[in-house]
Amino acid sequence: MEIVVCVKPVPEAETRLRASADGKNLDPESVKFVLAGYDESAVEQALLLKEAVPGSAVHVVSYGPGPRTEEVLRSAIALGCDRATWVESPNDDGAAPGVAARALALAVAPLPHDLVLCGKQAGDDESGIVAAALGELLGVPDFSAVIDLRWDPAAARLKFQRATEAGQETWEAPTPCVVGLQQAWNDPRTAKLPAILKSRKATIAKVPAGAPPPTGPQNLPEKFELPPPRTGAKMVEYQTPEEAAQKLVKLLREEAKVFP
Amino acid sequence: MPDFSLTAEQESLRDLARKFARTEMAPHAAECDKVGRFPEEIYRKAFDLGLMNLNVPAEYGGSGLGVTEQCLIVEELAHACGGMTTSVIANCLALEPILLGGTPEQKDRILKPFCAEYHLASFCLTEPSGGSDAGGLKTHARREGEEYVLDGEKCFITNAPNASLYTVFATVDPSLKHRGITAFVVPRTAKGVTPGKDEEKMGHRASSTSTVQFENVRVPVADRLGAEGEGFSVAMRTLDQTRTPIGALATGIAQAALDHAAAYSLKRQTFGKAIAEHQAIQIKLANMAQSVHAARLLTWHAAWTIDHGAKGTLESSIAKCFASDAALHVADEAIQTFGGYGYMKEYPVEKLLRDAKLTQIYEGANEIQRTVIARELLAKYA
Repeated sequence: MEIVVCVKPVPEAETRLRASADGKNLDPESVKFVLAGYDESAVEQALLLKEAVPGSAVHVVSYGPGPRTEEVLRSAIALGCDRATWVESPNDDGAAPGVAARALALAVAPLPHDLVLCGKQAGDDESGIVAAALGELLGVPDFSAVIDLRWDPAAARLKFQRATEAGQETWEAPTPCVVGLQQAWNDPRTAKLPAILKSRKATIAKVPAGAPPPTGPQNLPEKFELPPPRTGAKMVEYQTPEEAAQKLVKLLREEAKVFP
Repeated sequence: MPDFSLTAEQESLRDLARKFARTEMAPHAAECDKVGRFPEEIYRKAFDLGLMNLNVPAEYGGSGLGVTEQCLIVEELAHACGGMTTSVIANCLALEPILLGGTPEQKDRILKPFCAEYHLASFCLTEPSGGSDAGGLKTHARREGEEYVLDGEKCFITNAPNASLYTVFATVDPSLKHRGITAFVVPRTAKGVTPGKDEEKMGHRASSTSTVQFENVRVPVADRLGAEGEGFSVAMRTLDQTRTPIGALATGIAQAALDHAAAYSLKRQTFGKAIAEHQAIQIKLANMAQSVHAARLLTWHAAWTIDHGAKGTLESSIAKCFASDAALHVADEAIQTFGGYGYMKEYPVEKLLRDAKLTQIYEGANEIQRTVIARELLAKYA
């Protein structure tokens, strides 16, 4: 099975963010970029399928500016992906999922792809658009919030569950298709030290975002600012839960004035 | 001017170690310290990720890293637990004599199967009657045909109760002093090899330490490292390679102490404000930060010196000595910042003081480091 995984570099959850000098973006110096959380699961799922289906290969693709995009591709190679393609964005327009989907679709279309995997959404903008847009642009079915993705060789179909508000749906899909992954069978693996060293030497195919580069509706931020610092909390001292509740209700009514 | 920026490769190695330290080691550090547990499952994971035989070239199944990269990894691991780090890196110390003194045939025969799976090795130099006075060691190696017969006792040997391989320093003739010392590789399974019981220690309680008895242990001549009498040089050159990562280990403990103290100082209130707003605490934190930064830079410089082909005896002694003294000082000040809470075992900082203490003692006591530093220094004026 030829598997393409699309991944995105996002700020590490523990990063202490700062706004850039013009206030319109993150200060890239303040940010350490890593593979987005659901994308980590997508890579893990791709590798699990590769291990389960003989003769499979995993090609990882990312759209974005350097060096963060190159770094997340190397981390995916260190995890076990076979090949990598970096679609270089002309600028740091990370907030435009429609543009990213067009750029990715142009890069993925000529690659052999039985399955295109993405994280269901990225941890920075949480837009969840790219997987669906990729399906549309590649002209193949797409599915989001997928868990428990398996290949049934006898039926030559993918079988999986979708997590919905109403419960879990059971699905089958032909290939090729696009899957926005919610959860792999396993927690994402950790790259081993020799694989990390090897990934530094791997060749990454670099392609331009297209000529002219894809455009589309942009939702670029006007201004980045940090949330205001939290004001002091008030601790209530109490002996019994009843006393705590009484004191809290009194405070909510008289000081916070959330009750009449 | 030197370039202090890390390469992308170095950053990714550090990230790997940091992730392992935070997710696998840190959650178990307090428990292992409390009960003195040797967390073999964590050491196996460290091996699986390639974090164990850092100095062994890739052709023999190790990670093949330079001293700089080893230091970056060791500092991250030690930030989570000094004791676990000691056990994770003990193989580097035990295998270095084979790298330095072994023939290609010995490296092939011994290191390849050893590094292919999870195994622990121990460096057996120190004896009950002395560690710093390595030239006066008493373990005896008597040649009988194509074998040596080893007799003696080693003590304070890291990982000894759990190791499958020992690199042993013994004398073929005590009257020759350090010129009689010879290095051997001895498997745990050899008849007459008996590790003692795991010692109760002040710190590094996730690491195991014991004596090793050698009673009529027959070692083939093929397992001697280098010629007779070359063992002392092998031991000293080994320590030249491994001393700097001990500086990094101490730096990791010191950084952890600073991190705990700074975070606590922002939360803890006295006289109506966070103690971080009191100048007394600010001065403390500033001094701690200076110590940590200087320890790290000295360690990096020593590593850089060795990675550029120099022996680095002076630089590594300065780094190890300074960083370990700094670790003790910074851990002490972290406890002071926590006040009474810092003295309680429920809080993480008293462990750091106990762990820091060993870094002043092992792999060359700091008194020996200062002797070395003075000797190297005075040679420039003589």
